[in-house]
Amino acid sequence: MSGAARSARPLRAASAGNGVLLILIALLIALTLGMAQLEPLFRALFPDLGNPLYARDSFLNLMLAHIGLVLVSSLISVTIGIAAGLFVTRPVGREFEPMVSSLAAIGQTFPPAAVLAIAVPLAGFGFTPTIIALSLYGLLPVIQNTIAGLGTVPQTTLEAARGNGMSRWQILRRVELPLAMRVIIAGIRVSVIINIGTATIGSTVGAKSLGTPLIAGLVGNNLAYVIQGALLVGLLAIVTDLLFERLERRYAFGV
Amino acid sequence: MIELQGLTKTYAGKNVVEDVSMTLETGEFGVLIGPSGCGKSTTLKMINRLVPLSGGRIILNGDDVTELPAEQLRRRIGYAIQSTGLFPHWSVARNIATVPQLLKWPKSRIDDRVDELMAMFHLDPAEFRHKYPHQLSGGQAQRVGVARALAADPEVLLMDEPFGAVDPITREALQAEMRRVHRQTGKTIVFVTHDMDEALQLATRIALLNGGRLVQYDRPIEMMVKPADDFVREFFGQADLGLKLLSRRWVHQYQRPPSLAHHATLPGLDHCWRLDDAGRPIVLEGARLDDQHRHTDVRAEWIATPEMSMKEALSRMVWYRVMVLPVVDGTGKLIGEVGMQGIMGIESDGGLHAGEPAS
Repeated sequence: MSGAARSARPLRAASAGNGVLLILIALLIALTLGMAQLEPLFRALFPDLGNPLYARDSFLNLMLAHIGLVLVSSLISVTIGIAAGLFVTRPVGREFEPMVSSLAAIGQTFPPAAVLAIAVPLAGFGFTPTIIALSLYGLLPVIQNTIAGLGTVPQTTLEAARGNGMSRWQILRRVELPLAMRVIIAGIRVSVIINIGTATIGSTVGAKSLGTPLIAGLVGNNLAYVIQGALLVGLLAIVTDLLFERLERRYAFGV
Repeated sequence: MIELQGLTKTYAGKNVVEDVSMTLETGEFGVLIGPSGCGKSTTLKMINRLVPLSGGRIILNGDDVTELPAEQLRRRIGYAIQSTGLFPHWSVARNIATVPQLLKWPKSRIDDRVDELMAMFHLDPAEFRHKYPHQLSGGQAQRVGVARALAADPEVLLMDEPFGAVDPITREALQAEMRRVHRQTGKTIVFVTHDMDEALQLATRIALLNGGRLVQYDRPIEMMVKPADDFVREFFGQADLGLKLLSRRWVHQYQRPPSLAHHATLPGLDHCWRLDDAGRPIVLEGARLDDQHRHTDVRAEWIATPEMSMKEALSRMVWYRVMVLPVVDGTGKLIGEVGMQGIMGIESDGGLHAGEPAS
């Protein structure tokens, strides 16, 4: 079954991208584990700096902490976002749709730095305020795309599902969610990518992340630190984006 | 058997369907027809409660199903709609298996049933089982849609303009297939259309609705020859009633033994078939308006089958300018012929004779 299914989908783009993806993943792992090996390079590039390699923590630790921040905050945004999107597309919650949409939009227009500033007095320094800021910031794309994705399911398909005797729950699980999944995943993709970038500012309130060398570099006027942090954040974002692209494609049904 | 008793639907204080009562015996093919907005589709959707009833009752094989949970009711009633409503993320096999899966049939029984239905609709399981709806032609998708509706062997099959979105040639093929499937399964069918030709092709009972009310419910021929009022008369159209009658006549009713030798009885009508070794007609000698001695190669385009409507047979005679068509069985063997003069030969049940006043 899966063979026939796969042959129906555009394979060319996928196979062309596979090599690139593998190279980028290898590069990401190599740089995370072996940044120290590049010390001579950074020394050559920045001869004026006494300390051209960030060494207060290992890049592996920073990477894992960064991924942890993004994972936890994205899980929260996705859970709340999909739940809210589902709620406002059901008959009981339909009237709340404008309210939920604008709340999510407000969440996104708030600069994350401002959210951090508000969250710190409430939740202290470190992990928690960062998670609050990131979760709020990542909510909008998930909610919007959940609503949009469920809206793309054709009326005739829904009528057929009802007419064939599916219950509301069965229609949601077997028909609406699978058909909306591609658009929902696209929303999660945007949300996660935004959070990978935004998580760096968590370091300003003491959350460990790849933003730590970045901030340290900015404060201490050390461009090499900035490059080392930014390189890893950028690579992580690109790799994650490519992985999501693949995931999305699995849910393309004849489109 | 399905009985509708006083079915009523009210939207915003206005009755869009008003007191529709009709009984469809088991095995009948009932067609709901009428102008747009007459309530035919609403009536159909009340039968499986996609549209909630404002009033009235539905009796399915003796059970009052009006109070039954809607999902349970719908699993006893097949449902096929325009543009198929197939689930785009499911294979053909899984689409067909929708209701059996909801009813939790064992897997082997579902597989057998899917194969059986695909065979009934001439879809080769090896080729189509794993295809997805977007890989099907309109006609194939519509067949899958009907197969899905029949999957759990429902007591009644509802069809809401199922062939409305396909091209005319495919539609004719699907109609012929629907007639055959109806004959094979003996299903009770309720079918909505706005196309009178389609209704006449398929129906054993026609219900004509207008403004939410049932105007006349009768056998197709009765409706043509004994219209209840001017609306019915107008709806059926007067000018081509004769042709419409022919669309309810089948070649096997007019078929006679084939002429295999010349006998010059009637000028212009003398003809003779030449067959190949397998008994298939290959050449027609005579029976051409333009040249009565001409030999004509028999072409597939003007071969008739016993199940073909006489309207179609007549159309082929006119178009290909032959006075007589060969009638062949499933293997292509000549089993009879049907001719121009034969069209007038049968006493139509209820048809008028020349000179009789039209009621």
